[in-house]
Order: sequence, then structure tokens, then C-alpha cells
Amino acid sequence: MKTLTSTHPTRVARPTSITSLVFLAVTIFPAFALAQDAPLTRQQDWRQQREAKSKSLKPYKPGSLEGGTLYVQKERVLERFAEGWKGIHPKLGGLSTGSGFAGGIRYAPRIAEGQVDFQTSGAISPRVYQFYDLKLGAPKLLGGKLFAEFYSRYRSYPQEDFFGLGPSSRRGDRTNFALEDSLFDISLGWNWTKWLRTGVTAGHLKTNIGRGTDGRFPTTESLFSPVALTELAEQPSYNHLDALFRVDYRDEPLNPHSGGKYQLVYSYYDDQRLGRYSFRRLDAEVQQHFPFLRKKRVISFRALASLSDTNPGQSIPFYMMQEVGGADSLRGYREFRFRDRNLLVMNLEYQWEAFSGLDMAIFGDAGKVASRRRDINLKDLESDVGFGFRFNSIKSVFLRIDIGFSQEGTRVFFKFAPAF
Amino acid sequence: MPSQTSTHSPRISCFDVRTSAFALLVLRVSVRLWFAPLVAACRVVAFLFAVTLLLSSIASAQKFRPDDPIWEDDDRQNVPTLGRFTIADYYDFLENTFFSPGDNTRKRAVNVNTLGEVPDSSWFTNRHGKKPLNLEELVRGPDRGGPSLGTKWQVIQNKQGGITPGFRAKDDTGTIYQLEFDPVTNPEMATSAEVICTKIFHAIGYYVAEVYIVSFSRNQLEIATNAQFEDLAGKKRPMTAKDVDAVLQKAHTGPDGRYRTIASKFLPGKPVGTYRYYGTRPDDPNDIFPHEHRRELRGLRVFSAWLNHDDSRSINSFDSLISENGRQYIRHYLFDFGSTLGSGTVFAQKPRAGNEYLWEPGPTFKSLFSLGLWVRPWIRVDYPNYPSIGNFEAEFFRPEKWKPEYPNRAFENMMEEDAFWAAKLVMAFTDEQLRAIVKTGQLSDPRAEAYLTETIIKRRDKVGHFWLNHTNPLDQFRVEGTTLAFDNAAVRLLKGVSAADGYQVQWHRFDNHKQTPEPFGSKTAAKQLQLEIPSGAFEGPSDGAGHYALAEITTQSSHHLSWARPLRVYLRKSGTDVSVVGIERD
Repeated sequence: MKTLTSTHPTRVARPTSITSLVFLAVTIFPAFALAQDAPLTRQQDWRQQREAKSKSLKPYKPGSLEGGTLYVQKERVLERFAEGWKGIHPKLGGLSTGSGFAGGIRYAPRIAEGQVDFQTSGAISPRVYQFYDLKLGAPKLLGGKLFAEFYSRYRSYPQEDFFGLGPSSRRGDRTNFALEDSLFDISLGWNWTKWLRTGVTAGHLKTNIGRGTDGRFPTTESLFSPVALTELAEQPSYNHLDALFRVDYRDEPLNPHSGGKYQLVYSYYDDQRLGRYSFRRLDAEVQQHFPFLRKKRVISFRALASLSDTNPGQSIPFYMMQEVGGADSLRGYREFRFRDRNLLVMNLEYQWEAFSGLDMAIFGDAGKVASRRRDINLKDLESDVGFGFRFNSIKSVFLRIDIGFSQEGTRVFFKFAPAF
Repeated sequence: MPSQTSTHSPRISCFDVRTSAFALLVLRVSVRLWFAPLVAACRVVAFLFAVTLLLSSIASAQKFRPDDPIWEDDDRQNVPTLGRFTIADYYDFLENTFFSPGDNTRKRAVNVNTLGEVPDSSWFTNRHGKKPLNLEELVRGPDRGGPSLGTKWQVIQNKQGGITPGFRAKDDTGTIYQLEFDPVTNPEMATSAEVICTKIFHAIGYYVAEVYIVSFSRNQLEIATNAQFEDLAGKKRPMTAKDVDAVLQKAHTGPDGRYRTIASKFLPGKPVGTYRYYGTRPDDPNDIFPHEHRRELRGLRVFSAWLNHDDSRSINSFDSLISENGRQYIRHYLFDFGSTLGSGTVFAQKPRAGNEYLWEPGPTFKSLFSLGLWVRPWIRVDYPNYPSIGNFEAEFFRPEKWKPEYPNRAFENMMEEDAFWAAKLVMAFTDEQLRAIVKTGQLSDPRAEAYLTETIIKRRDKVGHFWLNHTNPLDQFRVEGTTLAFDNAAVRLLKGVSAADGYQVQWHRFDNHKQTPEPFGSKTAAKQLQLEIPSGAFEGPSDGAGHYALAEITTQSSHHLSWARPLRVYLRKSGTDVSVVGIERD
């Protein structure tokens, strides 16, 4: 037993010694190494942290959102989109309200360092509204003083709204008709100063009216007889001549916060085909923007008047009349809600900056149409009020949302341009 | 077979038992004779190993290391091959505006030395703050020789990125510069701001590019034979004279028909991207301190406020891979000071700049829901009409409320201690020095130059008054004999600040291993800028490098309540030598 007892420690010592040997082998050298490199100083500590990091270096991998924005930036996707491909650009929207979201292409190659302006485009919407145009211009002749332009357009709008003529037309009389026209214009103008422009335009307009394709509403000819609207049965072709006088000293025409615009356009439309629809028209526009608080607040006013006149025995086709209602005139009403020979529209808008990318607005609109010029006055105006959002950059409004309220209900408009 | 096997085995077994017993005996003897000392040695080694580990851990845990305070962070170890680290401009805005990235833990800057100063590194070099630069050095800034223009600029490429009109050109020596112009409406504005702020940021300690104001006439520009024009969509074509003229059309022309431009020398090294104001670069082993906890990036908020550097964000930083002495490392630059002072680079600075982020919900909703009746205060600020200055003023300016274009984590993490460090650097620029630096902007209107100088000086003083008084302003601690002497930075650097009413100190013995103070004696008061060091203050445990004492000081002032914030000064006694080893401010 004693022997056994005496051997016990040895038995215990044996594994200890082996463990120690292993321990020695495994740890003595690292221990010495570690002791040698122990981070006793600040510099050593930081150096060790760097050495440790150097063993696990990896390239930075952005997340999906960052990677996406990085791709857009590096590949200049937005710039390429804006620049187009070999002069070809997408064309989005821009057709008549109610057409649906139109899409198409625009070809605008850069010619002669911008001395020649050539553009042609085509677009079609889900409701088969079609639009094609071509422009060839020289915008910078004589050092930018003289400009000349040829413009041609074909459009086919198969579901244009018509509610009847005059201020008492009824909302329930909504009908639709198909409008098709072709236009060929030549313009010549002179820029007297940066803000004063005069010009003349001569051209030919061929119109064609047909049955509307919007099955939700009656066609115009079914509700308004061709007797009342003779132009539904036969359509004129015009030669026209316009004269323009414009003073425009707004700070940014596509996002004005100060300045004003005063414009007169006198037009004569000579019916070449039927000889019964010739007319004259004077369009006047006054808009003034009154900024305060460093243009962070703006009160804007705009008045539009359009006065049409005919010789005895002549009349104006309803689709050539001016109309009131919609995103650019009375925002509490549908587009084309009122039509007649003459119109008056006034808009008053107070705009304030919510932050640098968004201006808010509250507005009030008033306007009317009338068959007689003397009825263009401030009596019996249709009116609305509303508020809106203008998402903008310094130079332009890229999205305008206006919500208008009138006795005919609430209208919401999404537009990619300022109201005026 | 099984039986044979079964008879065989016992025999062998018997033999084995006997031989095993013998072998065991031999082994025991051997172990006793030969291995026992080895086992003992093992135990010693194990003990030493444990001690080593313990010492290591103690060294890691101890507050002060033997080499503290260090004045250089050697973060210029060789870096292997690096990719380009690009930040998407819009993503940077979105992330910092809406997602608040980085670590927002409130803690001291991690790259400072124990005195709370920034060691020299690839990010920052102590210049004017450590040893005042003379006028000549301040005015020279980073410049080491401008463009040589005996004959003509060789235009080689249109400018890429940024909103300022410009192009790249070579001077007579073939050195490449980027040329950028003033906007037509604001002659001299962007170019002067660029030069002035480059010199100030350089003197502060940042790495910046060399920039020079030069002027030339159109006929001094020549299109290089291989000059390239890259359009916005990235398409390249040979550059033409019309491309150059298109750029010059957007630039201001002097009455003599010459163009004034800023010529920025290309930075040395290979561009490897930009840096963020948070996190570290995963492919750079030297980059171990999260950027949001770097003192020089936190403190940049104070400098940016002073000089209205609202564009202080990632895209205006520049990482360059520098090859030096057989190794390569990243040097971190601040870049593009066109949007500083009253300049918005291509227009006079917007009044919003410095006062409100691009997107800030509070003011936005207040304005939105009040129908604009609530007016942002900065909208009413008036600016003098100096086109060459833009919109820059000092009356409305509040250094603590100043904001860049959008938030960044480093600025958000700035603590009083960071701001104090920066404010001292700001106040290191004297009126005379600032006048000399502003002169390098070469403003032709002396009234504009005087206004700009005065505004920079006023803003400097506002920065100093706020941040130096926002904490305990004692500094310049040193041991003189048996006393701890110090100074009051607010009194020394600011005009009209009266001395403190007195000081209270509580001495501690400090255990550097445990990082624990043990109060020694009771609180004492002093009226002078020196405190007697009690003789027993260093009788705490030694860490091998010395014994430590801690003085916790508050400053009494009826005018400045923030001065009463405690400030801790650590002293180390090695032999007979006593030195200040650490300073902490709350």
C-alpha cells in the first residue's frame, strides 16, 4: 500500500510532466514572442492594431442602395439619359390632359454648335393620342438678335372633351370628339434686348374633326347637333398670321420668383377651304411676381384675356375657341370645361418655401368665357381655391401638384411645369 | 485460430506486464533524473508566460503608457494595393440626412494624445497651433512654386465634376493645373475664397492642394494636340477652341479682357478616392480610428463654421496614395474651398448655407404648416453689397449653431473638448496674420478686402468666445519646481475676458494600472495660476515608468459658469522628474 501510495505522486507527476512538455512546446515560443511584442507603449499598441488589421484587409463593398447610386453616378446614367443616345431622347408626357401618360422619342442632334436647332419627335398615349412634330431653327442669327424657325406638327387627339359653349355649359353635358390637325409655321423674330422680343409667324393649319372614341361619354355630335355646331360636319383649313410682342424679365422663366411677363399676340386665321370660319384674335397676358423675404415668399398674379372677332357671316369653330379650366387656368375645374370666343382668366398665388427643394402655394383662380366681348368683365366669374406643391430646382419646377376646389368638386393635377 | 490467438495473448501479456513494469521503473528514474528539472523549467516558463500575459494586459489597461504623450502617429506604414473608394454624391446626402450612419457613442476623440492634442499623421500636421508660423509661412501656405507662364497654357482636357466652369492645362514646365473661374456676376469671389481658405486650413494643419491666382488672356490658351473633351455623358472627342470659348463665356472677364482663374496644382500620388466622416477604410491598414472619433474631423466643424465652409463633406475630401521612402500610404486631403466665406462657387452663397441643412424637418414643417408665416431667422439677415465677397457676415453668425450642407457623424460627435482644441487653433490667428492672408485673395476693391478681413476676425472672436468659455479653459499646464503652473486660454486669447475668481483643486494619487484615483488631502483653493503639488501626491503605486498624481481643478468665475466644469491634469514622476502626462476636460 505504501508503495502504491508512494507511486501515486509519480503517477500524477507523469501526466503533469507531459502536459508541461506540451505546454512548453506550444506556448513557450509564442509567450516569449508575445512578451517581446507586448504593447507596452502607445506606438506599439497602435502598430499592433494596424498589423492586425493588415491581416484582414478587404475592398469596400457598398450596399445595394449605395451600389445603385454609385452605378448611376459612375456610369452617368442621368446625364446620359438627359444627353440621349446619338441625339435620341425619350419623350414622356406632354400631350393633352386626359390622354394618359404618353411616351415617345425625340431626335435632337447637336448641329453646328447649337447654331442650328433641329428637333423632331413622336409620341403616343394609352388612349391613342398621337403627336408628331419637326422644328428647324436658327436661334442665334446676328449674334442672337435674329431668330428664324420652321415648325410643323401633326396631332390626333381622339377623346377631347367638350361641354358646350358659353359660361352656362353644364358639367353633365360632357362629350368627346376627335381632333386632328396639321400645322406648318414659319417664324421670324428680333430680340431687341434680353427681355424684349418681337416676331411674326405665318403658317397653314388644316383641321379635321371626328367622332370621339371615349365610350364613357357621348360623342359631341350626338349631344350637340351639327346644326348648332356646323363645324362638326365640315372643317376649314387656315392660313394664319401672328404678330408677337413680349416683355419678359422674369428671373427664371421655368420657376419664376420675381419679374414679370407682358405679352400680346395678334392672330388672323383665314379660312381657305370653306370661307366661313375666318377670325381674328388678340391674346394678352400679364404676369407679375412680387418677391419678399429673399424670394422665399412670392405673390404672383397673372391675367389672361383672349378676344376673338369675326367679320359678318363668319364664325369660329368651337375647337378653335379658347377654353377655361384645368391645370393652367381654373384649377378647380376639368380641362376644357368652358369654351367660347372670349375669355378672361385671373390667377393669384401665394408661394412660400418649405425647404430648398419644395415651394408650397395657395391659390385662387377666377375666370369666365363669353360669346360677346363686352361680357368679358368681372361679373359672374367662375372661381376656385386650392393649394399646391412645387418640387423644384433653382431653375425649374420639375413636378407641380395642384389641388383645386370649386363648386364642381375637387381636381388634382400633376404637371411638370409651373402654373405660369 | 481463435484458440491459438487466445493462448498467445496471455503470454505476451505476461511478458508485457513485466517489461512494462521495468520500463515504467526506468521511466520514473529517467523522469526523476532528467525530466524533473525540465518539468520545473516548464513551470517557471509557464509562470513567466502568465506574468507576461498579465503585464501585457496591465499595459493594455493602463491609462498612460511610457511613451505618452506621443506627438506623432506613425500611420504611414506600407499599404498594399488599393482600390478606388468612391462615394456617390447623392447617397452621401441621403445616408447622412436620413440614416445617421457611424457610431454616435459620446466619447473622447480616440486619436488624440493624452494631453488632448492631435499627433501628426497622414491626416493632420501640427503647424500654427504648435509653433506659430511667421507671416511669410502663413502667406505661402502649401504653395511651393506656382505655374510657369512664360508663353502659353496648353489646355489638355475639360474639367470633370463640380459645378465651376474650368479646364485642365499644362504650364511651360508640363505641370498640370486645374483652372477654375469666377462667375460672371461675382468677379474675384470664388478664386479669392479658395486661396484664402486654403492658406488658413493649411496653417491649421490639414493637407490641402497648392492653389494660385493667375490671370491670362485668351490668346495665351492653346489647345494641346491630344486635348480631349468629355461631355456630361462621358463621351470623349477631340477638344476644340469652341469648347474653351464655351467655358470662358461662363467666366468673368476683367476690364483688360483677361481672365482671372484659380490654378490648382494636381496633388501628388495616385488618387484612391475620398473618405467618409465615419467608419474606417477597410482596405487601409493604417486607418484604425473611426473617422467620427477623429479629433481633426470633429474639430473641422469649428473651422468650417468660422470660414463658412458649408461644403465640408465627403466629396470634398481626397485620398492620395503617396509613395515615399520605398513605401506607400494614403494621405488625406481637404479639397475644394470654392464654397467658403461668402462664395457659393458659381453664385454668391445662399443665406441658408451655414444656417440650415439642405433638408431639416423642423423648419420645413414649421414653414409648411404656418403657411409661411413663420419665417426662418436667417432670411432676414442683410449682407453688404460686395460682389467679390458674396454673402458673408458676422453679426447673425452663431458658431455653435452653424451647419454644413447636411449632417455628418464626425461633426455630430464633436464634444466640448474637440471644440476647445479647435477654438484655440482659430484664436491662434492674429488680426495681422489674417489681414496678410486675406491679401493673398487679391481683391481689387480695398473696401471689400477690409470688410472680409473684419468679418473673418469677428467670426474668429465669436468662435473663441463661445467655445473657449464653454468648458474649463485652463491650458498650458507645466511643472515649475514644486508647483503646477497653467494659464487661462480664454483670458489669454480673448479680448475683454476677466481673470477667474479662483481655482479649486482636489489632489489624488493615481493608480495607473487600475486607473483609479485615490483622493489625497482635502480640496484647496488658489487665486493664482499655479498650484502647489503636495509632496505625498506621488506615493501611489508605480507602473514601472513612474508614480502618478491627479489634480482635479475647477475654475470659479461669476461670469462664466462653464469654467467650473472639472478638468483633470495627470502628472507623472519618474525619479525626480515630474511632468504633465495627461489632460481631460468635461
